Amino acid sequence: MNIRRLTELALLSSVALIIFVIELRIPNPFPIPGVKLGLANIVTVYAVFRYRPSETAMIVTVRLLLGAMFSGNPSALLYSAAGAVCCLLGMLALRRTLPEKHIWLCSVIGAMLHNIGQITAAVIIMRSFGVIAYLPLLLVTGSLAGLFTGMCTQLLLKRIK
Amino acid sequence: MTNRKIMLAVAAVFLVSVCLSVFILMPSEKREVEIVQNGTVLYTFDLNRAEDREIRISSADGGYNLIVIKDGTICISEADCPDQTCVKMGELKSDYLPIVCLPHKLIVRFAEDES
Repeated sequence: MNIRRLTELALLSSVALIIFVIELRIPNPFPIPGVKLGLANIVTVYAVFRYRPSETAMIVTVRLLLGAMFSGNPSALLYSAAGAVCCLLGMLALRRTLPEKHIWLCSVIGAMLHNIGQITAAVIIMRSFGVIAYLPLLLVTGSLAGLFTGMCTQLLLKRIK
Repeated sequence: MTNRKIMLAVAAVFLVSVCLSVFILMPSEKREVEIVQNGTVLYTFDLNRAEDREIRISSADGGYNLIVIKDGTICISEADCPDQTCVKMGELKSDYLPIVCLPHKLIVRFAEDES
């Protein structure tokens, strides 16, 4: 990997982290565990379409680890990591089939997969199937949030060539 | 064509989730409540008969949640986790939507009727 590439990845990671930290300051109107706008995923979706899969994975890993540290909530890391892995695998697979004008769809599916991953992790960690009841609520809010971040990315990709 | 199929599938999942969410958010008829931590049941009570009280539950990592039972309702009034989601969830109302504290692996939910 050359220096230019490395710098770009570092820059994207820090942008994602800044968005993540700012989002922590926005009060959450939905009192449901796991519901979030996930604005930092604008960077993830952007990276999925502009960078190699391994590079995207690096950005997401750095964001997850440092994000857990900055938010002071390291126990949430397991849930978000499980979600991020599902989301990333799904979006990387979709990248081949979806054209750039349907990026929002990729983001929505990514958000849904993220929620499924989160809930799977919660079921395993809490040893209770009861938390599955959250899945429909998470899917509804998650796909709306995914739609929003996806549209943001689409605007971004059009501007940054 | 495949794009269309994917879009339809996403729309279908979304609509099903909306329907299920409405169903899940309906208030419960049950009165039997249990407090579960790490998959083991710590307390059970009948909300109709339970006296008003506060229960402090410590978790393995040194944190705690304060559970309050008052006038036949149960809620978590205090927790030392940063996200405070369990406190913001308010009273336990739905059958399917327990009060969950992810950092402390704590669940407050309606129990199955034994009778």
